Amino acid sequence: MGKDARDSWGSPAEFMLACVSYAVGLGNVWRFPYLCQMHGGGGFLIPYLLMLLLEGVPLFYMELAIGQKMRLGSIGAWTAISPYLSGVGLASVVTSLYLCLYYNIINAWSFWYLFNSFQSVLPWAVCPVNSNRTGPLEECERATPTQYFFYRETLDISPSIEENGGIHTGQALCLVLAWILTFLFIVRGVKSTGKVVYFTATFPYLVLFIYLVRGFTLHGAINGVKYMFTPKMEELANPVTWINAATQIFFSLGLGFGSLIAFASYNQYHNNFQRQAIAVSFINSGTSIFAAIVTFAIYGFKATVNYENCLGRTRVLLLNTFNLAEDSVSLDNILEVMDQLNTTYPQQFAELSGRLENCSLESELDTAVEGAGLAFIVYSEAITNMPLSQFWSVLYFFMLLLLGMGSMLGNITAIITPLRDFKITSGISDEVFNGGVCLFCLLLGLGFTTPSGNYWFTMFNDYGATFSLLFIVLIEVITVSYIYGIKRFEKDIEDMLGHRPNWYWKIMWVVVSPLLLIGLFVFYIITYIQGGTPTYQAWDKDVGKSVQTEYPVFGQVFIGLLLVSSVSCIPLAALYAFCRKRKHGVVQKESVSTVAA
Amino acid sequence: MLERVFLLLCFLPVLAAETCKPNTPNGHKVRLSIKTALGAEAYDWNENERFLFQSTMAYAMRNLKGENFTVSNIVVCDETPRVSFWFVVTSPNDPSKVVSKGEVEEAVRKSRNRINQAFMLSDSTLEFIGILPTLAAPVEPPTPTWLIVFGVVMGMVLAGIVILLALSFVQKKRKKNKKADVEEEEDDEGTQVQTAENGATRVDYYNNSFADDERFTHM
Repeated sequence: MGKDARDSWGSPAEFMLACVSYAVGLGNVWRFPYLCQMHGGGGFLIPYLLMLLLEGVPLFYMELAIGQKMRLGSIGAWTAISPYLSGVGLASVVTSLYLCLYYNIINAWSFWYLFNSFQSVLPWAVCPVNSNRTGPLEECERATPTQYFFYRETLDISPSIEENGGIHTGQALCLVLAWILTFLFIVRGVKSTGKVVYFTATFPYLVLFIYLVRGFTLHGAINGVKYMFTPKMEELANPVTWINAATQIFFSLGLGFGSLIAFASYNQYHNNFQRQAIAVSFINSGTSIFAAIVTFAIYGFKATVNYENCLGRTRVLLLNTFNLAEDSVSLDNILEVMDQLNTTYPQQFAELSGRLENCSLESELDTAVEGAGLAFIVYSEAITNMPLSQFWSVLYFFMLLLLGMGSMLGNITAIITPLRDFKITSGISDEVFNGGVCLFCLLLGLGFTTPSGNYWFTMFNDYGATFSLLFIVLIEVITVSYIYGIKRFEKDIEDMLGHRPNWYWKIMWVVVSPLLLIGLFVFYIITYIQGGTPTYQAWDKDVGKSVQTEYPVFGQVFIGLLLVSSVSCIPLAALYAFCRKRKHGVVQKESVSTVAA
Repeated sequence: MLERVFLLLCFLPVLAAETCKPNTPNGHKVRLSIKTALGAEAYDWNENERFLFQSTMAYAMRNLKGENFTVSNIVVCDETPRVSFWFVVTSPNDPSKVVSKGEVEEAVRKSRNRINQAFMLSDSTLEFIGILPTLAAPVEPPTPTWLIVFGVVMGMVLAGIVILLALSFVQKKRKKNKKADVEEEEDDEGTQVQTAENGATRVDYYNNSFADDERFTHM
């Protein structure tokens, strides 16, 4: 009967677009440019591309192979490989659940900014006026208008994780919308997802291209691109560069969540996933580099604008203090004029030096930001300086939304597919089940819309997935190479594709990738231990800056819980399988003895 | 008599000059940034512009106090190329008396808009040092703009879901009716349709994996 046959993609193109949409996400836009800047600009491409070949493509290929062969979600697939390893699938589902809970908050923020872009003056361009109407609000003056809009009007952030308050209505509404939209995309399983990904995978490239053209025509953009891409080869000697390249490839491709296994499980048995795996991995890295160029152009523009504003403020200060005519000092001759004044009025100039800012284009370009801060603060600031800023704002946040939604599709499919494989859920219809999962995640996710919600978000972001994923994928690759056996795996692939994987793949799976992953894993453990008490950035409204604060005890306990809950699934499930097997084994032995007797 | 008037007239500017000097307690500093505000259309600061300033300030004082302030009651001094200067306001009844700082401030605040417009400048380009401008009250629309856009998008998404669910419901009903017709025909044959699939769909893992083991036996 058609009812029990597994769902499948409308065409192999849909599968590939789904993988692209999932892999190309916010990390390509806000993490890779930062790493590029931190680790020597153009030189970073060398470790990055090397890690892509050593670790990225082989592991991606492996996960697709498992999914397509087993035709089950992560739990079912790993149980089929070895009953002791059902915990690997379970750990993937738990990690995906954590990710789903907090990832849609970012989409809620994108919605919020998108909706607020439909105003004549962008609300993050100017500070709101204080109650006496004598000047801007103090918190906004000490920080910048974009920071104020993000921390106060979007998040209404509390001074620390310990203080809390009620739910921010605007945020909550946007989160509800984000989840309803997610539900719309997955309501009929891969049939609906397959259609959506045509748009979510391709439209961001259009926007990035438009931004590339806009970016390069902006004043000062070339400064940014030149500065960031100038390779600083000495960074290659720093081991942290290589580790960051490896982790970036690893997380950017979305390995270990079970999404790739889930997506591949809906493929036709003989689908040529080898070509697709290579294509998607390279598209993902290519997109990162493309996004980095755009980001650096925007950075260059922003840095130049800030530098010129700084010079402008200095000019006004000089004009007012020395009562010079307005056209005597311009931005071009300001430095000479300063020298002149220093010699003619040394005493007055010395009094002034306390208020004189040090304007430097280099230091503006050096300020590197990553994460939500880059996307929602730095970028929005740059947009306010562009002509026709409402249009650019709408376009930009729409792109962020598509990138985030595309990744969400993979995340939520990683939870739904394995759970749907169980017999007990077969009675519930697709729509009700999917709706139930979305509702569950929405209700828990509302906690992130409270004043301290952003701190919990950071906690989940930093600890919820990183460590457990490394462990999961390490177990995965060791299982496939040694427990399941590389020969058996080879034969499965030959069964599906018609030819065996060549020596490159086998060496990567058996030797290189496991060693790399073990290295990363050890490095992470050492960093955790050496790092001491985990800290977070708390927004101090009196100073108008983020300050590093230690997590309180309950925060540290929760971090521990996050780490342990997903990782411990593997040994616990193995133990469970062991006990079950023993029980079955005992029963069999008894039946044999009675027969013999 | 004539001499006395002449002496007084000569004395007056001296008196006024003494009361107006930089940092005088009842004086105010004014700074104009004409070139910043008007760029190519900037006018030069000359005697006539100064006269305009004196007359607008006299107007502002009249507006506040109702006394007959004239141009000579506004004393300007210490002009700089920046275009900044100090001024004091003397009382029309007694030219040696200087109007207090507070009153001048009040007058400026009251007529700030008119003073700005006389010079085609704004609060930031025509500065009275020490007198903070009252910023315009923020315009709050009755419904925040974002809520309107949110409503539109939410409506579209909900409509999409309803349509999709209705479509799938209708499709399922059609399939059920078709199946009912097909089953009536096949009942006599009593055939069991077996699904041949690659791999398992909904299974009990632990038992099935033992079965699967046989599939992967070594050659």
